[in-house]
Amino acid sequence: MKSESRKPFSKDIIHIENIDQVCNDIIAKLKTDVAKNLQRRGAIVGISGGIDSSVCLALSAKAFGSKNVLGIMLPEQDSSDDSRQLAEELAATYGVSTLIEDITKALDGFGCYERRDDAILRVIPGFDKKVDKAKIEIKQNIAENIPAIFSITVIKPNGDVVSKLLPAREYLQIVASTNFKQRSRMSMLYYHAERMHYAVIGTPNKHEVEQGFFVKYGDGGADVMPIGHFYKTQVYQLAKHLGVPQGIIDRTPTTDTYTAEQSQEDFFYQMPFESMDLIWYGWENDYPADEVGKVMDKTTKEIENIYKSFERKRKTTEYLRMKPIF
Amino acid sequence: MKNTNDVKAEIKKYILEASLSDIKDVEDDALIFENGLLDSMGLLFLIEFLGESFEVEVTDEELNPKNFESINNIVSFVSNKLSVKV
Repeated sequence: MKSESRKPFSKDIIHIENIDQVCNDIIAKLKTDVAKNLQRRGAIVGISGGIDSSVCLALSAKAFGSKNVLGIMLPEQDSSDDSRQLAEELAATYGVSTLIEDITKALDGFGCYERRDDAILRVIPGFDKKVDKAKIEIKQNIAENIPAIFSITVIKPNGDVVSKLLPAREYLQIVASTNFKQRSRMSMLYYHAERMHYAVIGTPNKHEVEQGFFVKYGDGGADVMPIGHFYKTQVYQLAKHLGVPQGIIDRTPTTDTYTAEQSQEDFFYQMPFESMDLIWYGWENDYPADEVGKVMDKTTKEIENIYKSFERKRKTTEYLRMKPIF
Repeated sequence: MKNTNDVKAEIKKYILEASLSDIKDVEDDALIFENGLLDSMGLLFLIEFLGESFEVEVTDEELNPKNFESINNIVSFVSNKLSVKV
């Protein structure tokens, strides 16, 4: 039961006040988890040039020393070009060694691209995989009380856009195919972790873990997840405090999974991080919808529907967080 | 052509079977997403069922609570689409 004396809901409610202490605590826990609990002597971090993996690399470098951390870039044919450059800048900032493991051939072997493109072609018959770009996205308003359904959007070289609601079979095939990417990356990270007797540092943040925006046994497969309890805006706070390069902080978070550019907001979250963090906090701490609505400039009904959407996402993705049952 | 009662009976039977719950019946105006009968994949499979059973195609714009939040709303949406088709 929430006490009457708790903080009133405000836009600063999840701002980390004692950032230095919080960073030190994460670093101390990471050291204990890896050295004592997991009994490993260093850390492997898959780095994409994104904010989450960058913060995890920075924390790892501070916890274990630069020489005991290896940053691994895992590009494939659909990765954006600036990912590598940003990841290299990050590694140089913390003096961490890096490796590049291109997983395109492995994905080709799995039939990742072919299976995905076949499904897209069944929905958009004019799709030309050689030149068209494609992505999946949620188009509904999160404040409307209906579960999220994905659409496929194809962008032609001349800029024409074709978009269609994805039927169940094709949606599942596209997701299952592209999940080879995260699972192949996980396999490669564990190869290096095992050959070096290191631990794999998982990079999901609180939203990814709790809303199920990760691939089971893909990016969800790791030994320790140091930022798994932190909201996205808090991850940005950590990034600034740890000195992550500005180019990474300024970059729009993307999935880096589909050929067309795609923000995480379009793909999954349906609202900007700044709002989502606060409303999620309000929801999980039982703040009344009207109190949150006033601060967020939304109606009580809108907040109630967003709360329901969070509840649905957490419930429907429970399977991803479950361990094998026996 | 199927009448509204036939459409309702088929949709209700499908939803009860698809929900994998022990519920034997559901009110026609019950909010099927709020009460947990269907989740997002359940909605996606329902759309597939509407296509296979009634040849009704759903667009992005039609995917809203007004058309899908209860059995009554779905029946009304499907019936309207069928009459437009005829």
